[in-house]
Amino acid sequence: MDMEMDIPLPEELEWLEANSHLHDDYDDFELPEPYPEEEEEPEPESHHHQQQPKEPPPKPTLSIPPITIPITDQPLSSKIKINGKKRFRSDSTDSLNCDNVAPSEDKRSRIDSPESEIDEDWLRFSPPPKEVTNVEDSVVFQERIVSRFASEIDGDCIPVTGPGGERVYAKISRVDREDRLKKLDLNLHKIGLISEPINVLMQRVEHDAFMKALQASAEGQNDVILPEAPVMNEKLWVDKYAPNSFMELLSDEHTNREVLLWLKQWDSCVFGSEIRSTTDDVLSALRRHSSVAQHQKLSDRSFLGKNRESRLNKATSSAHNDSDPENNNSKGNQELWNKKSNDSGPPERKILLLCGPPGLGKTTLAHVAARHCGYRVVEINASDDRSSSTIEARILDVVQMNSVMADSKPKCLVIDEIDGALGDGKGAVEVILKMLSSERKSDTGKGNAAKEEQQGKMSSKKRRKYASLSRPVICICNDLYAPALRPLRQVAKVHVFVQPTVTRVVNRLKYICNKEGLKTSSIALTALAQYTECDIRSCLNTLQFLNKKKEVLNVLEISSQVVGRKDTSKSVFDIWKEIFLKRKVKRERKSGTSCSSMSNEFEFLNSLISNRGDYDLILDGIHENILQLHYHDPVMQKTVKCLHSLGVSDLIHQYIMRTQQMSLLVYQPATAIAIRSLVAQVEKPTIEWPKSFQRYRTMVMEKTDILRSWHNKISPYISRHLSTKSFVEDSVSPLLHILSPPTLRPVAMHLLSEKQKNDLAQLVNTMVSYCITYKNIKSDPLPSTPRHEAVLDASVLSFDPPVGDFINFKGYTSGHFVLSLAVKQVLVHEVEKQKILQGSLNRSVLPPDVCNKGNQDLTREDGRRTKSSTSDRASASAESVGNVKTPSNLRSCISNTSIVSLASGSNGSATSSVKIRCPGDAKKPSSGSSSFFDRFKKQSSKGSLNTDNAIQRPATSERDSRPLLFKFNEGFTNAVKRPVRIREFLL
Amino acid sequence: MLWVDKYRPKTLDKIIVHEDVAQNLKKLVTEQDCPHLLFYGPSGSGKKTLIMALLRQMFGPGAEKVKVENKTWKVDAGTRTIDLELTTLSSTHHVELNPSDAGFQDRYIVQEIIKEMAKNRPIDTKGKKGFKVLVLNEVDKLSREAQHSLRRTMEKYSASCRLILCCNSSSKVTEAVRSRCLNVRINAPTEGQIVKVLEFVGKKEGLQLPSGFAARIAEKSNRSLRRAILSLETCRVQQYPFSNNQAIPPMDWEEYIFEIASDIMKEQSPKRLFQVRGKVYELLINCIPPEIILKRLLFELLKKLDAELKHEVCHWAAYYEHRMRLGQKAIFHIEAFVAKFMSIYKGFLIATFG
Repeated sequence: MDMEMDIPLPEELEWLEANSHLHDDYDDFELPEPYPEEEEEPEPESHHHQQQPKEPPPKPTLSIPPITIPITDQPLSSKIKINGKKRFRSDSTDSLNCDNVAPSEDKRSRIDSPESEIDEDWLRFSPPPKEVTNVEDSVVFQERIVSRFASEIDGDCIPVTGPGGERVYAKISRVDREDRLKKLDLNLHKIGLISEPINVLMQRVEHDAFMKALQASAEGQNDVILPEAPVMNEKLWVDKYAPNSFMELLSDEHTNREVLLWLKQWDSCVFGSEIRSTTDDVLSALRRHSSVAQHQKLSDRSFLGKNRESRLNKATSSAHNDSDPENNNSKGNQELWNKKSNDSGPPERKILLLCGPPGLGKTTLAHVAARHCGYRVVEINASDDRSSSTIEARILDVVQMNSVMADSKPKCLVIDEIDGALGDGKGAVEVILKMLSSERKSDTGKGNAAKEEQQGKMSSKKRRKYASLSRPVICICNDLYAPALRPLRQVAKVHVFVQPTVTRVVNRLKYICNKEGLKTSSIALTALAQYTECDIRSCLNTLQFLNKKKEVLNVLEISSQVVGRKDTSKSVFDIWKEIFLKRKVKRERKSGTSCSSMSNEFEFLNSLISNRGDYDLILDGIHENILQLHYHDPVMQKTVKCLHSLGVSDLIHQYIMRTQQMSLLVYQPATAIAIRSLVAQVEKPTIEWPKSFQRYRTMVMEKTDILRSWHNKISPYISRHLSTKSFVEDSVSPLLHILSPPTLRPVAMHLLSEKQKNDLAQLVNTMVSYCITYKNIKSDPLPSTPRHEAVLDASVLSFDPPVGDFINFKGYTSGHFVLSLAVKQVLVHEVEKQKILQGSLNRSVLPPDVCNKGNQDLTREDGRRTKSSTSDRASASAESVGNVKTPSNLRSCISNTSIVSLASGSNGSATSSVKIRCPGDAKKPSSGSSSFFDRFKKQSSKGSLNTDNAIQRPATSERDSRPLLFKFNEGFTNAVKRPVRIREFLL
Repeated sequence: MLWVDKYRPKTLDKIIVHEDVAQNLKKLVTEQDCPHLLFYGPSGSGKKTLIMALLRQMFGPGAEKVKVENKTWKVDAGTRTIDLELTTLSSTHHVELNPSDAGFQDRYIVQEIIKEMAKNRPIDTKGKKGFKVLVLNEVDKLSREAQHSLRRTMEKYSASCRLILCCNSSSKVTEAVRSRCLNVRINAPTEGQIVKVLEFVGKKEGLQLPSGFAARIAEKSNRSLRRAILSLETCRVQQYPFSNNQAIPPMDWEEYIFEIASDIMKEQSPKRLFQVRGKVYELLINCIPPEIILKRLLFELLKKLDAELKHEVCHWAAYYEHRMRLGQKAIFHIEAFVAKFMSIYKGFLIATFG
């Protein structure tokens, strides 16, 4: 914050010059902190210098007096009173308006009230009438002073920022304070969240108490620990000084606002429609991020809140200047947003995922923000049982208790450390995802109409029916990329915590040290904060520890002192960045020689990488990204070295895995560091997740599976000679050539010449023996095929074990001929036919006793197949006689069969009837060939071919003046009955 | 059925290529006893064909009736039981399997299956040939442990079980195993032999082979009989009355590696290396073994290289292939080789052309 403030904008400076008395404001916020005397002097002055390089403060003396006021035990109200009085005296400015802002009100109405009163541009287009009435009841008994300038306000004032970034200062009433204090408890949620009659409220209070008791018995530690008066010395400082209100949060302002905005979006869904209109404005205000003017509640005892708030004034006042030009823009936005929020349910992303390194205040933010928005926080953390069964019950409890909990504070679920335990953490994630997905289903089903009636019976019924999320859920994790969170990451709104600035942390530390009476210097604190990477928890713990030991924080020896180095792992991305990014080392200056800086760097990286572990992944990432870096390498020697080191690491890894000598893993980080020393650059690298190796692995698995299953399908006589290696090495390319001969013409079967028919038979035979067929695949054609299949529709016939994919390299066009669709369809038919033929042959041959009467058997088998013609049968039966002779030589026998049968088919017109059908089908491919083939398979296996009957009939009638008759009883065991002549058996 | 399978000799007598080996085997088997055998030689040289013919010689046509089984073994390995699944081919006389499919647990497979075979020893009515044959494929891919365990079981159950091992390179088979077997080296057929086979096939198919055509196919076949016959059939399919200068379609992956090689020769930079990486991944994804990629790449590069560099490049290829076999991630090492080559070549270019 302070850093931002330090650069005054030109407009702001002008404004400052015009209203020089504003310094009092600055001084006010700096002064009340009772720093130890020796530190106190340089601080404000340096601020002055930084803030106002041009113009020294005109009345520096004024800034000093308030120091004398002791803070610790003084109630805030009186303090403010004093301050206000003093300022009143010193400033003696004119006060303009005579209204009174109610600072105790909920933020929503607080922001609204100036909106409704002040006539500003940004308000004009949407003066929400409801909101005015809402506000008025609070206005009745409270007067307000609102002014553009703090200096114009008589007494203490609070800055208020409107949605448009407009800043005004509202006077804090001194007169009503006691009243309001009393009223506060009663009004707190009445005004802000629910406006209901008092009897309801009373009931609710009772109920609340009851529920609290229940809660306490059920889930002891879940309730937020509210920091109590700082009396007990034993309490951890971390808890003692935990932020109590939104304004006290140390974490990044932007994140805070985002979280708040997200929570606010739930309002209309959770709290009902009464306050929706106001919510909209607040939301739009938040949305624009122009500023946040969250005012301290009266209940805030902490001085720091006040302190920081006024610091915020400064920031927001500068922001105010910026945001003016945005106003026009934002008008549209706001309108849009208003429209959108009319039917607004919960926000689109129902889960908030906060992630960041430990100690930055994620949990605190979640708690504070939720409480700020009027929720009761229910926390589930790693110490709870998080198996999915128990957690489901609890989440449902929290999230769906609509009817029962209707008159108490709604709950907000905070799942802490969701990434923690892998197996268990997944339970929570699963439950949440399940709820979300069911919600989505219901939403799409019901449509928007149902949504608008958010509070209607319909929707509430709906909500109960589907286990849906109706309360905000905040998940907190350290590692965003933990595998357990992968699904959640996609559906949740993710916020990554960034470190607060060191100055902010230091200020807070200073304040706490002062309170605790620990003597520190700001330099030491800064060093501490830097050392812990702004982990305020660790800082506080350290300080408390030192305090106990009565030691003083030593600047130079922080690392050697008690401060525990965080043993956390950074995310892999950070590590890669660290490896590839060369820093302009600041430490170098301090430590002097470059040698020590080198060793420092080594130490740092070494600990970084070994803390993370997972060297495999880290090295994969290096491998993936290293070639994308821009390092100077004329003869590629660096690249060679890098790849060499990667190779070494691979060897080490393999050796370790094989011999299980895990202790050798310590040498793995060294490879990464060696690579860093070669390629690290100052410019920021774009780092990608190492996908290619994973992709390679999965693809290889996939392909070997394809090969293996195909291998198993092929009859062992062939497959035993083929290994996967020899297949891809020697066989694929020729096989593909053989399978798609360019000489095969897509014409009707009977038009083929003798030779062509032989070829076709051979091809079909090959396909059958290699278990290859064509299959419909609904996808765009393979890149290598399009030229031959310009005609194709959405569906393409491609090889069933996708043999073609094995030569389908990226960026490579193979010279393979691709058969036309018609030919493929012919082939499919033939292959099917051949398979059936073989199947029947096998069946008739395999049982040895049947073998003797194979002839009869075969005829019966064939008889079942209506399409088989006499000549076909004759050839088959002739072959089966051969089978009886040499049953062991089945394979070659079958091949002969097919050849003979097909060859003989060319002679007799009868078999051609079978084949005529194929081109006939080829003519109507658009009728959904897949369904056709399915039908074909099914029916041919059953032995009846209804569809083909019509085409077949003329041919058969030619042959035999009597047509075949058969009856098809679907669903009966005797599905097909047909009369058979004795002549057919005898033939 | 492809010609490769169609004209595969079924008996030892019909074998054309390794006639001497076949005859020796025949003699060996007819004397009733048979030692353990280890066949080794490059792929496509006819090891499996020989083994099958040998089995037929030993057991008669009964050995050709094979059924495919997907067997599951429950192995008791100390504290836990391991379930292993493996596909086997078995007839009444022999079992054929690929133990390296079991991955690192291949050791149990080898032990278990031999024990099992020993248990149900076939009892012949005439009391002869009381042993079964176990055919193990790809023995060189067996882990060291598996080979060690094989050593003992081979001896222990030698009465009931004969092993026929089959692998590409005997160097990966431990000395102990090798010494317990009769090693049969199956050479890659010479081009002359390939031509002979091709002509045989052509005659059977009734094809007219123009003179020199078979020789050309043989030359392109890399001395692999399988590839030669497949190429012949491919040519036949593409254009039948063979013309003398008919193109013999190349292997697609070899073409692809050729593209990679010319990519490398065109530009030497990390960016180009990145592209090469993508292409190598493509090859790897399609199950092409990395060693073959590296070898072929070297072959293609050497063709385009100046003589003085060849030596060094070969050295580095060997170096990186060695490392690749030791390591796990082949891509690292192939890429390292490519980078090394680029570096050498670029340095050479700069040195010569300034």
